[in-house]
Formats: sequence, C-alpha cells, structure tokens
Amino acid sequence: MKKILMYMIAAFLMMLGQAQAIDANKAESFVKSVTKQGIEEIINSNVSRQEKDARFEKLFNEYLDLDYIGRFVLGRYYKTATPAQRKEFIDVYRAFNIKTWSQRFDEFKGKSFVFAGTTPSNSEGQLFVNTTVNMGEGEPAKVVWRVKDNGHSMKIVDIIIENVSLAITARNEYTAYIKKSPNGLNDLIADLRAKAAK
Amino acid sequence: MKKVLYSFLMLVFFSGCATNPNGTKMKASDEQTKLEVYNRAMFNFNYQLDKKVLKPVAKGYKAITTQDIRNRVTSFFNNLEEPANAINNLLQGEVSATGTSIARFAINSTLGLLGTFDVASGWGFAEKSNSFDATMAKYCIPDGPFVVMPVIGPSTPRYLVGWGADSFASPMYWALLDKDDETWAISVIYGATALKYINKRAENLALLDSLEEGSVDFYATVKSAFLQNRQKFKSLCHHKAENNGQTTSYDFDFDDMEEE
Repeated sequence: MKKILMYMIAAFLMMLGQAQAIDANKAESFVKSVTKQGIEEIINSNVSRQEKDARFEKLFNEYLDLDYIGRFVLGRYYKTATPAQRKEFIDVYRAFNIKTWSQRFDEFKGKSFVFAGTTPSNSEGQLFVNTTVNMGEGEPAKVVWRVKDNGHSMKIVDIIIENVSLAITARNEYTAYIKKSPNGLNDLIADLRAKAAK
Repeated sequence: MKKVLYSFLMLVFFSGCATNPNGTKMKASDEQTKLEVYNRAMFNFNYQLDKKVLKPVAKGYKAITTQDIRNRVTSFFNNLEEPANAINNLLQGEVSATGTSIARFAINSTLGLLGTFDVASGWGFAEKSNSFDATMAKYCIPDGPFVVMPVIGPSTPRYLVGWGADSFASPMYWALLDKDDETWAISVIYGATALKYINKRAENLALLDSLEEGSVDFYATVKSAFLQNRQKFKSLCHHKAENNGQTTSYDFDFDDMEEE
C-alpha cells in the first residue's frame, strides 16, 4: 500500500513538473547540442565562408525564436506598429542578426563552453542555462542562455554575456533610436536593412 | 591628487542633486534630458579622440607586438590590481579570497617575474578580482546616474569613486610616495598607464569594431551594456536583494511592452 501511494505521489509530482516547469536537464542538453553543432560544424569546419554563413543561418533560424525576441526589442513601439511594419521589422532584424553574428561567431574559435547548471526564471516555461568560456588571460567569461520550451520544441530567446542581455541591449538601443528619428520605426527598418545588405 | 579627489566629491554632490527625489517629476525628467544631451556630446568627443588617437596607436602597437607579449602586459597590470583585490575582499568579509589575492601577489610578483606570468593560477589560486566599487555596493551605497566622463568614458559616480580609491592601493601609486625622485616616478606612472590602456584597446579592437558595426545607436548600446553589467553589484547589498523577487538581474518579462 505504501509503495503504491509513493508511486502515485511520484506520478503526481511528475505531472506537476511537466505542467508548469521546463526540464532543466533537457534545456541544458539542448544548449549543449546547439553549441556543439555551432563549434564543430561551423567554426572548426573546413568549408568556404559562404557555406559557413549558410550553415549559420540554418542554425540561427532553427534554434532562435526571433519572432518572440523581435516583438520584445521594439518595446512599446510594437503596439503602435502596423502589421506590415511588424513583419518588415522582424524580417530585417533577422537578416541583420544573421549577418553580424555569423561574423562574430568566429571569435569563439578554439574555445569551448563549460556548463555550470541552470537558474530558474520567473517566466513560465523558461530558464537560464549557465556556461563559462575560457578567454585565455584573466577570468573566464560568463555566458548564459535563456531557453524557452514551446511545448514541442525548445528555443533560445536571449543570450546574456557578462550580465549583459542581448535582448535588453537591443531594446534600449532601438527604442532610443525610434524616439530620436523623424520617421521612427521606418527609419530603423531602413537603417537595419542597409546594414544587413552591406 | 587632492584636486582629483575634490572633483570626485563635486561629482558625487552634483549627482546627488540631479537625482533629488524632492523635485517634481517634470523637473527630474528635464534634468535627465540635460544629462543625456551632455552624455551624448561627451560620448562623441571620446569617440573622436579614440578614432584619431587611441585606436591608431593601438593598431600600431598590435602590429609590432605578438599575442604573447600582449598577454604578458595584461598579466603585469592584472598583478598590480591584486593589493586592491585583497583589501576589497577583506572589506567584504571574504577572508579566504583575501588570502588568495595576497598569495597571488606574492607568488606572481616573484616567481611570475613581476607579474608578467600568472604562475599562481596553475597552483590553484584562481583570481578573485574585486573592487572598491563592489565594496560600496555591498554596503548598499547607491550607484547614481550614468555619466560619460572625458577620456575615462562611461561611468557612474560610485564607479568613479571606486576607481579612484582602488588606484591608491596600486603599487604604481606607492611608487609616487617616494618623494626623493618624484619626476621620475611620475613619468614612469604616466608611461605605464598609457601602456595599460593601449594594450587594453589593442585587445579590444575586433570586439569594439563589431559592436559598433552591429549597432544603429552606439551610445545607447554602450550605455545599456555598461549599466546591465553593473547589475551584478545589486545582489551584494543584502537587504535589497531580499526584497527583490527576481532570481537574476536579466530575468525580465518578455511580455512587458511598456518599459524601454
């Protein structure tokens, strides 16, 4: 009887866990596989720059939830944007990020991520996967991956380097830009498009 | 030195006025705008200075040095910060970290050839860097507003006071105390300080270039990154950390569309 009760409690706890929390182990192995793919198949591979960029784009689109991030970085200007502007912004934001990050990504050449557990988030279905990167001299850099469980798949929604969230930095920058510009969001879209095409 | 200290105090006093909570909301936002206008102007000044002086010098320096030489230089200046690390670790009650910093300074200054090699890390004494800025944060001294200083760049009043205080703990400052040969000491210090910043800039060439390329408002990016990085100090002040339900400073709500 005791055993059955224990099983029931265990099953109940597991259900509870599934209903509201993201599995920490799964999230960590998800980030492990993404960084492994990035390092092995892109940074350390002996393929052309074009092939590297193509692989990076695929990795980026598959594992980053850019619709979710793009909505956030516009802040209160997202609410006043037209559906066409929203779509346009997300498209150029995606192209621009792929462009800048596929170049920056090479800086991780020869470096590896050391996984250091997870930290819970106040947002449902999200958590932080903690890693450190040895940068040669001095203390290792702290890189944190914010992971969101979409039910059927996991996505990275923010990367935090030395306490600096890329999503918050982008929001601060874009909202400041929109506020200053005569044509607001349209100027931002045009500027990002020009930078992505360069 | 007295003059420098005086301007620090003025700055703290000034910033105290700027964030005076007794002012009306309208007035506060006016002052914020004024500060923002000043900050952007000073940021542009520093940016031009960097572009025309520091960056070209750093590029030249990088061309004539190897990565190994630059690592030795970085190591040398890191070692000079160990006394400040030790004092601040002690002020924050981190006894074992204090011991580590003292041991590191002793080992690296001697066996590490004046700190150019970090021998101590290999012996299990990993760096425990700390600052007076963090010490003040631990005693819950507020940070103050974001201010761009001439040459120094992005800072806050607490950051500046911490930076000034830590420089008194540097062996470079001790060298100044040798009054017999002051001019010699001063020129060595100026030379060393210049080398420190040129070396630092050389190591950041690619990073800062890509950061600038990837931004549409460089000032806003730098300000945001600088202030976010400083959030790590917030958890040091205990009675504040307890009131805050947030697990980490970067655990924001993605659905919050109001804030900027």
